[in-house]
Amino acid sequence: MAPPALEVVKLRKTYPSGFTALHDLELEIPDGAFFGLLGPNGAGKSTLISATCNLLRPTSGDIKVFGHRHDSRTARALVGLAEQEINLDRFLTNAEILTYHAGYYGVGRREAIRRTDELLELLGLADKSRQSPLSLSGGMQRRLLVARALIHRPRLLILDEPTAGVDVELRTDLWGYMRDLHRIGHTILLTTHYLEEAEALCDEIALIKSGRVISRGSADRLRAEFGVTHLSEVYNRAMATPLEEAHRG
Amino acid sequence: MAENWLASAPVRTFDQPYRAQRPAVTWLLQREIVRYLKNWHFTIAGQILAALLFVFVFGLAIGNRITGIGGVPYRQFILPGLVVLAVVTAGYIQGNASLFEARKDRFINAVLASPLRWWEINLALTLGSMVRGTLIATGFLAISLPLTGSHIARPGLFAATSVAVLVMAAQTGMLAGMYAKTTEHIAAIQVLVVQPLCFLGGVFYSVHDLSPSWRMLSYLDPVFYAVQAMRSAMVGHADIAAPEALLVVSAAALALTAWIAAKFRSGSKLKP
Repeated sequence: MAPPALEVVKLRKTYPSGFTALHDLELEIPDGAFFGLLGPNGAGKSTLISATCNLLRPTSGDIKVFGHRHDSRTARALVGLAEQEINLDRFLTNAEILTYHAGYYGVGRREAIRRTDELLELLGLADKSRQSPLSLSGGMQRRLLVARALIHRPRLLILDEPTAGVDVELRTDLWGYMRDLHRIGHTILLTTHYLEEAEALCDEIALIKSGRVISRGSADRLRAEFGVTHLSEVYNRAMATPLEEAHRG
Repeated sequence: MAENWLASAPVRTFDQPYRAQRPAVTWLLQREIVRYLKNWHFTIAGQILAALLFVFVFGLAIGNRITGIGGVPYRQFILPGLVVLAVVTAGYIQGNASLFEARKDRFINAVLASPLRWWEINLALTLGSMVRGTLIATGFLAISLPLTGSHIARPGLFAATSVAVLVMAAQTGMLAGMYAKTTEHIAAIQVLVVQPLCFLGGVFYSVHDLSPSWRMLSYLDPVFYAVQAMRSAMVGHADIAAPEALLVVSAAALALTAWIAAKFRSGSKLKP
C-alpha cells in the first residue's frame, strides 16, 4: 500500500515580519486523491504549497511526500508544481522551457525532447514550440505551466489556482486536462477560489483558514456536517466560524 | 491523448529512488550558456567591443602621447587591466541575469523545487559565468594582443590569475544578484561599487604615481591585486610581486565563494 501522497505534521511558518501563515497545520492526502484546498486569500494555501515544494523554509514541523522527507531528492522528483503566477523562463523558447525543466529532474536529452514534443502536442502548443513564452496568450501560458509541472512524470501534481483569471472556455479545457491527469494516475492537490470547481473535480476538500485546516471531507460530507445544501454555504459558514469553535467542532 | 502520454511516460512510482539519466547540474549549466549565447551580439561581442574601445581610445589614440610606464608602452600597460575589467563586468552582468532576473520573475522556483542540490545550482551558475568571462577575455585578447604588440610573458601565472579572477567575478555577480531587491539596486551597485573598484584598481596607472593616501586606497581594492597579477602575467612585472597579488585575488575569490555558498546552503536570500 502506498504511503500518503502528502503528510503534513504540525507545520508552522512564521515570516521574519512576525506574521504566522501556518499554525501547526496538519494534513494528509492519500495516494490517488483529487484533493481540493479551499480558503480565502492569506489563508496559507500557497505557503503550504511553497513549503512542500522547498520554496520556503518552514519554521517547524514535518512534511513527507510518499513517505520521503519533502526536501529529499526522491520527494522532489515525485512532485510537480504549477504555481499560481506565470513564472516561465522568458530567456528560453517554450520547447526549451520543458526540455530544461525535464533536465533539472535528471531526464536524459533524447527522452526530454521526446516528452517535450508529446506534451506540447497534448496541450495544443505544438505550433508554439519555438516561440517565447512572452508571445503566448494567458491561457496558453497556463497550459505551458501545467506541461512544465508534468514533464518529469510526478506522482503528486500540485496546481495552485490554475484557473484563476482565465475565461470559461479555457477553464473547461483545464478541467478536462485535470480529470485526464487524475484518471491516468496522478494524485492532484488543487487550490482554488471557485467552489464549483472544487465540487466538480475533487473527491475530497479541505477548508483552510488562518493557517489551519478547519474542516475536510467530500462535498457531500461537508454539506451534511454543516447542514446546508450548497458548498458555498459550507464555505461561508466555515469562514465565519471563530477558529476555536471550528476546532472544537 | 492522455493515455498516449501515460503509455510513453508512466507516472513515477513512489518507491523509486531518484536517479538521474544525465546529471541535472549539466542541464542548468547548459541553460546558462544557451541563454547568453542566444544573444551573443550583446552578451559576448558587445562586451568585447566595449573593452576594445578602451584600447582604441586610451591605448592607441591617447597612448601614443603618453610615455610608457615602467618601460612598458602605455597601450601594453593597460591591456592586462582591461582584461580584468572585462571579466569583472561580465561576471557582474551574468550574476545579475542568472539570479536577480530569475528571482524577480520567480522562474528560479522551477530550479529550487527540483532535485538539484544547493551546491549544484551554485556550481552551474558559477561555471556559466566563468565560461562567459572566458569567451569575452579570449575574444578580446585575440584582437588586442596583435593590435598592441603585446604577448603573455608568463603563461602559467596567466592561467592561475585568470581562474582566480573568473571565480571572483562570477561570485561578485551572484552576490549582487542574490542581494539586490530592485533593478535600481543592480544599476547602483554597478555604478557605485563595481566601476570604482575597477577604475581605482590600477588599470590605467601605476600606484607609484599616486599620493600615499590614494595609494593606500588602491591597496584596499581587491581588483587592484587582480590587475597586478594579470599585469605580471602579461607584461612580466607590476607594482607588487606576482605571488602576493595572486594570493590576495585567490583569497578574495575563496572568501566570496564561501559567502555565496553559505547563502545558497541556508537559502536565506532565495527562500522566505
